[in-house]
Amino acid sequence: MIAQQSDLSYPLLATIFEDVFQHTDLLTTATSKDDVSRWDSLQHIALVRAIETTFDIDLSLDEMMEMRTVGDIEAVLQRHGI
Amino acid sequence: MALSREPAPINAADDPAVRPSREEILETIISNAAEAAHRRVTPRSVDWSGVSPARVASIFAALAERSLAPPRDLVDALLVAGHAVPTDCARDLQQRALNDLNRGAVAPTLIAGDLSRLAEHEHMRPEVAGAIVDRLMSLGADDEACSLGLALWPSMPQALSPVRAKLASHLASLSPLQIRLAGFSTTEMLAADLGPAFGGAGRNAHISQAEFGGALTTLLKPDAEADVHIVLLDFDSLAARDWRLHPTALHSRLVEQADNLSSALSTFASRSTSPLLINSIPIPSAPTAGLLDSRHHSGLRHAVHLINARLFAASEKSGNIIAVDADRALVDIPSSRHHDPKLWFYGRIAYSADASRAIASAFAQTWALLTRGPAKVLALDFDNTLWGGTYGEDGIERLACGEDYPGNAFQAFQQECLRLKRQGFLLVALSKNDPDAITVFERHPGMILKPSDFAATAINWQSKPQNIRQIASELNLGLDSFIFIDDSPHEREAMRRLVPEVAVAELPTDPARRPNWIRELTRTWPIRLTDEDERRTEMYAAERQNRALKNSAASVEEYLRGLQQRLTVSHVAPEAVVRVAQMQQRTNQFNLTTRRLSDADIAAYLDHPERGLALLGRVADKFGDHGIAITATVSFEGSNAAIETFLMSCRVIGREVEKAFLGSLLLVLAQRGIARVTAQFISTKKNGMVRNFYRENGFSFIGGDDSASSWAFDLSTQSVPRSEFVAAILEA
Repeated sequence: MIAQQSDLSYPLLATIFEDVFQHTDLLTTATSKDDVSRWDSLQHIALVRAIETTFDIDLSLDEMMEMRTVGDIEAVLQRHGI
Repeated sequence: MALSREPAPINAADDPAVRPSREEILETIISNAAEAAHRRVTPRSVDWSGVSPARVASIFAALAERSLAPPRDLVDALLVAGHAVPTDCARDLQQRALNDLNRGAVAPTLIAGDLSRLAEHEHMRPEVAGAIVDRLMSLGADDEACSLGLALWPSMPQALSPVRAKLASHLASLSPLQIRLAGFSTTEMLAADLGPAFGGAGRNAHISQAEFGGALTTLLKPDAEADVHIVLLDFDSLAARDWRLHPTALHSRLVEQADNLSSALSTFASRSTSPLLINSIPIPSAPTAGLLDSRHHSGLRHAVHLINARLFAASEKSGNIIAVDADRALVDIPSSRHHDPKLWFYGRIAYSADASRAIASAFAQTWALLTRGPAKVLALDFDNTLWGGTYGEDGIERLACGEDYPGNAFQAFQQECLRLKRQGFLLVALSKNDPDAITVFERHPGMILKPSDFAATAINWQSKPQNIRQIASELNLGLDSFIFIDDSPHEREAMRRLVPEVAVAELPTDPARRPNWIRELTRTWPIRLTDEDERRTEMYAAERQNRALKNSAASVEEYLRGLQQRLTVSHVAPEAVVRVAQMQQRTNQFNLTTRRLSDADIAAYLDHPERGLALLGRVADKFGDHGIAITATVSFEGSNAAIETFLMSCRVIGREVEKAFLGSLLLVLAQRGIARVTAQFISTKKNGMVRNFYRENGFSFIGGDDSASSWAFDLSTQSVPRSEFVAAILEA
């Protein structure tokens, strides 16, 4: 499993990235917009939506803009008490 | 992999030494399965996939020992993880389907009927649905998996995840549909949603997007290549209000913007014949005039109503402008979630992700209704469908249909059937009973329906598939225009298997839920309504009496003479355009070219009499008025004319009406100085009956083959066909 080699605190993110970006490479907290080819501003909305439904949270515009790497996403999730 | 299948992380305790391993946790759960089930504890977050079949079996054994039924959540979790469960433990349709797939007990094609029921099912649980799609994929049933995923997508987008990789090739196998998309706000998210939405309707959407905010320019300059135009409307982009303005200026600006929209829509209608789908603005959740929002001019609802009213009026006026009711589309999403402020301020995206998906689905659904047309016939069972109880066993006095429960639920359902009849549906009785069961509608005081409300009846002990075929041929209607409504799952199953063309609706078992259920049945939704719709049953009833006469008359000639038919031929007047276009959409059998002209196409003939003409014929006989039953359009080219469409409603078939109408049409053309008339027959699956129509009426063959042929009639030398059984009155 991906989770064994990666440093993710939220292994579900790997599934989300596969779903939204068809990103099957190893996902780490360092993975950023530049590493994921489909991560453009439109797909970013799909990503935000997947995160919101999966973790049942509402994100703010600031948080949405803040999420440029997987580590950023994890930080946001942590703040939401997930 | 579906999101939901991933186990949620087990919270890490601070000290790893005292943290039980996953295996230990699982072991505890399995060995205490019965206790857990008893206390309704289902550890959903456990990854059941690694557990051996023997261990799973032991769970069920432990439960059986204590006579405990396994909780639904536990069965779901095991099935989703890929386990087979004892057949009696899989209790609903979705569990049974997934269990069958897990056991490898059925080939996916065998459960095709189940798949369509799953696709329609209202209470699919996302995890189970996703797993079914996933299993179908791993069995190699890509197309079934994709179809089911697409059908479930509007309510559970995650069901599409397992098929992502195969979706593109599945969509590519569907016939393409060119969509021109424009909006007042950003349309990219809607564009992404239209793919799966139209895929669910069986078409591969090719979407070209206008530039940002290009809605009005697109309306003024329609794309000739597009099969359909879609415009995404929202309030703020069209008419955001600037409170620096004086209230009267504010209001007149709003009216001006509504006018702009409405005139752009009229322009579109005059320049394009392809359909335009545009959503109305949903009722806003945040008011700008508090409790007065609906009635004060500073209120947002007030403003939204104003724009929507203009939009609906424009749609009423032009047949190819279809306003898609957003409040209807968004009915399952709380109004505060229609809009996502961060998306709006991030990228001028007017609707939330959920709302965008729902609007995309509504566009696709409307388009499907528009092209396929709503169903025309409700085939209704009696016992426990139209009334509670069984006539043959309980006797008439014990049947439930009246003021009290459960009779009032059946009464309400009959009201809905009657409502559909008023909207143009034919009601057909399909009941396994002695024929006198029809008298229940006269004798029982609680009945809303009367025997005369049924356009045809088959009340006997023959099989229903056999009966429905017979009725379809009696009414001259295709089986695909029928919806079958029956409380018996066996009858529904038999119908599904033996007459797959008929739409079989999953009638809820609870009679109380049925009246609303049928209101929500999309295939019954009208696109637009005309007077003819309200009278359709009467027209068919006249047709049935005709048949009775036909059977009693010694010869066909005698019968036809006895009918005293009158055909009134006239130019299509503006008020008849909608009806004629409706015939163009609905007529399949007696249709020479099946060109499906729209309202705008027909209206073009009225506006340009020098280019061509559109005629219609009203038919009446001694039994009644059949209304507009036949129509044709012709285009001119110098002294030549070409018949482009020629079609007739099948309720007047076999009476030489078509011959009399063709004769009148040719006379009108002769009067205009036309010398030569050409016509075409284009073969379809359904129009075999008119293959030789032109030959039989004196046209000579000038070319073509079985799939399409051309014919010509020389007005200067030939005399026009006439029928001795139809008195033609020319008002053209």
